[in-house]
Amino acid sequence: MGTEYPARPSYPPRSAATPFSVPRSTTPFSSSVPVVGTDSSTLSSNPPPPSPPSFQLSAPPSSSATPVGSSGAARPPASYGPPTTGPFQRPPNPPMPPPPVRQIPPPPAPFSGQPTPPPTITTASSLSPPVSFPPQSQPPSVPMGPPRPLMGSMQPNLNGPSLESSYSAPRSNVQSFSSPLLSPYPPSSDTPQNFPGYPSNQPSAMAQGPPVMPSGFATQQIGYIPPPAATASFRAHQGGYFPTGTTPQRPAPPMASVQGLAEDFNSLSLSSVPGSYDSRLDPQVLPRPLDGDIEPKFPGQDYEVNCSSRFLRLTTNTVPSSQSLASRWHLPLGAVVCPLAEGEEVPIVNFGVTGIIRCRRCRTYVNPFVVFMDSGRKWKCNICSLLNDVPGDYFAHLDASGKRVDLDQRPELRKGSVEFIAPTEYMVRPPMPPLYFFLIDVSISAVKSGMLQVVAQTIKSSLDSLPGFPRTQIGFITYDSVVQFYEMKSSLSQPRMMVISDLDDTFVPLPDDLLVNLSESRNVVDAFLDSLPSMFQDNINVESAFGPALKSAFMVMSQLGGKLLIFQHTMPSLGPGRLRLRGDDLRTHGTEKEHTLRSPEDPFYKQMAADFTKYQIAVNVYAFSDKYIDIATLGTLAKYTGGQVYYYPSFQASIHGDKLKYELNRDLTRETAWEAVMRIRCGKGLRFTSYHGNFMLRSTDLLALPAYDCDKAYAMQLSLEETILTTSVVHFQVALLYTSSSGERRIRVHTAAAPVVTDLSEMYRFADTGAIVSVLSRLAIEKTLTSKLEEGRIFIQQKIVKSLREYRNLHAAQQRLGGQMIYPESLKFLVLYGLALWKSTPLRGGHIDVPLDERCSVGSTMMALPVTKLLKLLYPNLTRIDEYLLKTSPQVDASSNILKRLPVSAESLDSRGLYIYDNGFQFVLWFGRMLSPDMAMNLLGQDFTADYSKVILHECDNEMSRKLMQILRKYRENDPSYFQLCQLVRQGEQPREGFFLTNLVEDQIGGTNGYADWLMQIHRQVQQNA
Amino acid sequence: MAWDPISWFIFFIINVLLIASALYQIVCLSDLEADYMNPYESSSRINVMIIPEYVLHGVFCTLFLLTGHWIFFLLTLPVAYLNLRKFMAREHLVDVTEVFRNLNAEKKLRIFKLGFYLILFAIVIIRASVDGTLLSVFRTTREGLDFRTSVLEF
Repeated sequence: MGTEYPARPSYPPRSAATPFSVPRSTTPFSSSVPVVGTDSSTLSSNPPPPSPPSFQLSAPPSSSATPVGSSGAARPPASYGPPTTGPFQRPPNPPMPPPPVRQIPPPPAPFSGQPTPPPTITTASSLSPPVSFPPQSQPPSVPMGPPRPLMGSMQPNLNGPSLESSYSAPRSNVQSFSSPLLSPYPPSSDTPQNFPGYPSNQPSAMAQGPPVMPSGFATQQIGYIPPPAATASFRAHQGGYFPTGTTPQRPAPPMASVQGLAEDFNSLSLSSVPGSYDSRLDPQVLPRPLDGDIEPKFPGQDYEVNCSSRFLRLTTNTVPSSQSLASRWHLPLGAVVCPLAEGEEVPIVNFGVTGIIRCRRCRTYVNPFVVFMDSGRKWKCNICSLLNDVPGDYFAHLDASGKRVDLDQRPELRKGSVEFIAPTEYMVRPPMPPLYFFLIDVSISAVKSGMLQVVAQTIKSSLDSLPGFPRTQIGFITYDSVVQFYEMKSSLSQPRMMVISDLDDTFVPLPDDLLVNLSESRNVVDAFLDSLPSMFQDNINVESAFGPALKSAFMVMSQLGGKLLIFQHTMPSLGPGRLRLRGDDLRTHGTEKEHTLRSPEDPFYKQMAADFTKYQIAVNVYAFSDKYIDIATLGTLAKYTGGQVYYYPSFQASIHGDKLKYELNRDLTRETAWEAVMRIRCGKGLRFTSYHGNFMLRSTDLLALPAYDCDKAYAMQLSLEETILTTSVVHFQVALLYTSSSGERRIRVHTAAAPVVTDLSEMYRFADTGAIVSVLSRLAIEKTLTSKLEEGRIFIQQKIVKSLREYRNLHAAQQRLGGQMIYPESLKFLVLYGLALWKSTPLRGGHIDVPLDERCSVGSTMMALPVTKLLKLLYPNLTRIDEYLLKTSPQVDASSNILKRLPVSAESLDSRGLYIYDNGFQFVLWFGRMLSPDMAMNLLGQDFTADYSKVILHECDNEMSRKLMQILRKYRENDPSYFQLCQLVRQGEQPREGFFLTNLVEDQIGGTNGYADWLMQIHRQVQQNA
Repeated sequence: MAWDPISWFIFFIINVLLIASALYQIVCLSDLEADYMNPYESSSRINVMIIPEYVLHGVFCTLFLLTGHWIFFLLTLPVAYLNLRKFMAREHLVDVTEVFRNLNAEKKLRIFKLGFYLILFAIVIIRASVDGTLLSVFRTTREGLDFRTSVLEF
């Protein structure tokens, strides 16, 4: 702002440096400071070499000097910041900063370390913020006579003369580009008047806010005489992007060139990050996904009929036209699908006697992308281009535009997602009833921890809401050193227990009455569950005949299939499938063989898993032990049967009871698809080559999912079979054939299209960070099963580096970006997520950093997690809530305004505050040391001084506590897949706080990088051999 | 040596069996790939073959050693070592749950083995015929008939 102004007068084209210098002379900025927006100008002035200086991250003294408070929203600079940063940061948290200060002239010191050219990682965004010349105070100095130069604010670079003309040009570009670019721009309402530069100043024109760009421009032009200003404004609007794009600008502003630039820039939409040389570098401006997952962009309106991104996400919403192009896209090329994702209803279509309309050759289901021809008698398959006949019952005339006249009544032709009712051809056997079978460990530790009690209660309370009444079937087996079966015939009043102690030769007594219809035998089942905990109350058996029990369960269930829930509290110690305490064997840790601990030990389990899948049995493993229980091996059962692993280390009913209750209940009552198979089809020339997640392949491309629900997603990778694709659009179709709980056979079909592109930058532009991160995490976790953890991490890092390097090669040359770090707008969070993955439980550190079981269970969970939840786990929500709690105004809409997400780093934590950390699996409530005791007392009752590890949060009778519980409830509602147990942590209370702090992804903990360092490291690697 | 013709005949038979086993496994894998067979069936069929194949190869190798055919012994040794290593690492069986992921590697391995046995087969035939021993078993007369003519007579 102020700075800019000064420049104004000088406006002499090009000499960017000069302008600034002048004003700044007073301030430290004197030198050619690469002032923000100005940079463009500056750059021009300074050829490549200068870049280093431009970039300095170091905080200039001035900044420090400035009063700028941390939060200083009011601060002018801050205000300024927002706009620029806009794109990167969320508007809400604009101000952040400590003004990173712009560069001080040649900050001599800073560069020292760097070997490579000064990695100036300037991001576009960064640029602007810095601008915040702290000293904004100088406003007065700003001579701006004509305040209106709003835009002028920064960049003089455009050089006046051509301005007008140039102006128009860019504008048009902008418009076309419109949405993506502009949107990010936050309306900077708060901008202080002082800054002339800032659009907001101009009440009239600018009021409209950024999006209004076009109009704004016009006005500006009018008011503004100096053409240069206009251009400048243009840039300013561009916000963050600019820097990179613009920077490169050549000095000469001929219209044409400008236009070209603008275009370039549009297409690039790159930005650079302000790295910090010095790690203290203004962390605030780094891009952060504080709004959570971002909806992927589609390249145009033709794709509006695509199924929602909840169901299918491509890693980039385009398809490369040739193998050579695909090989330059170093990130995974593929998709993440979650066909039953929760959300709005999917229309159900019943073709009745007509049968489901499918392509004769490739078996694609009819979808909105098929074309009807020959006056409606034929349709052309969008996947294989075959002409199919339209069955008589399905025939409809075409109107003048070639559309079917009955289009409005045909959801399957209008929506990307539909569900077909499948006729009998789609059944190998009558649809199975929902079936739940429980295999419960009743050894001493299971009883003592209270697990048995909670499980029995929860099952009983869920019985009414089990899906599929009245067909639902249920059965139980318990085991310790022997296996106990329960006969539950409806004619009995009490279940009859049969004990089998022959572990080597398992057989099932009374095979018919072990599995009963719930509605018929409800009384017996109730009686059983009531008495279960007391039956084993005094059990002192420590053994576990898990293997034999598993085989028995298999024999009982193999007729029908269904869902097997295993509650395991001790290591399997008897019969086939017994396991060793291999995880406790320290000799293996840290060696080449360490990875064997992460894969199953006994082939028995893999074999069982394969058999389970074959007979449509899904296994969910609930593991509780406080000691090593070999999740790696037990988890295999869930892995190949499409199940899930729930792990409750050191389970105590009083602490973890709620979590188990909720999750078991959800597992039992959520809508489940039974005996499902899934297949994804894609257009000619492409093929899905590998699949990642928890399932078993039944043929090369058919995923067998004995039980499937909305909490699981699968990833797959794609490759090009032909060297060149000749089509212009490629379609993808995911089909899930399943039996609903009500006993109907159904097919859920999602169809999406993606354009074939010949340009790598297009691929980058439509890249979807969420899907990419999801695929990358699965690949890395799979890697850790067969090699060292480190290789999984390096794999991720290399993928990121390679893709950024490719991107850099694409743009750096012509733009002379020198030391800047460039990345596409669409991947701005990729680097951060890469860091988060690096620090995620399955990949973090070495064997001492995470207990083996935890690593395996979280790894197994992450292999199946839908994109949004994965991103939340990687980059959790951190919010400060004390202010909100103190506010008396009742029931203000909580979460939205006041509770905003903070960067996940220790710097966000203020010792006077109360924070919630929410990663979707648990809450951590962090109490600052200086938090007023009143508040702690209000929230925790009398326990507030106690050791927090023993305190359980419950609602107290006061407003504040109710509000807190309300927030927690709201958070839980938003993320219903798991129950987030609330853990309390007081600042400085070790070691618990330590555990919490290691989860702050952006911090530098125990040998791992902080965000800024990580960025620098990536940047340096990108530049090597670039 | 009187045993020579018989030992060459045994080598010949074993070699044919090994080729058949490799072929069979390749066919199973391709059927699996083409979806003519499900993974359970395919892998159980292959797994049945594996131990006999390893044993047979071990016998093959040992016999060469015992009969003093050093060159042949050394030729077959690497494969024997490979088998042994896989067996010790418990990786010799096809894993139903991961068949598809390993499909290409498994197939390549077997094609390599098939090629190896075919080459060996050719060498065995040549060696045997040079010795004139292979077919001697079939000969009713011990006359020193030329091998080639006897082939023609067949």
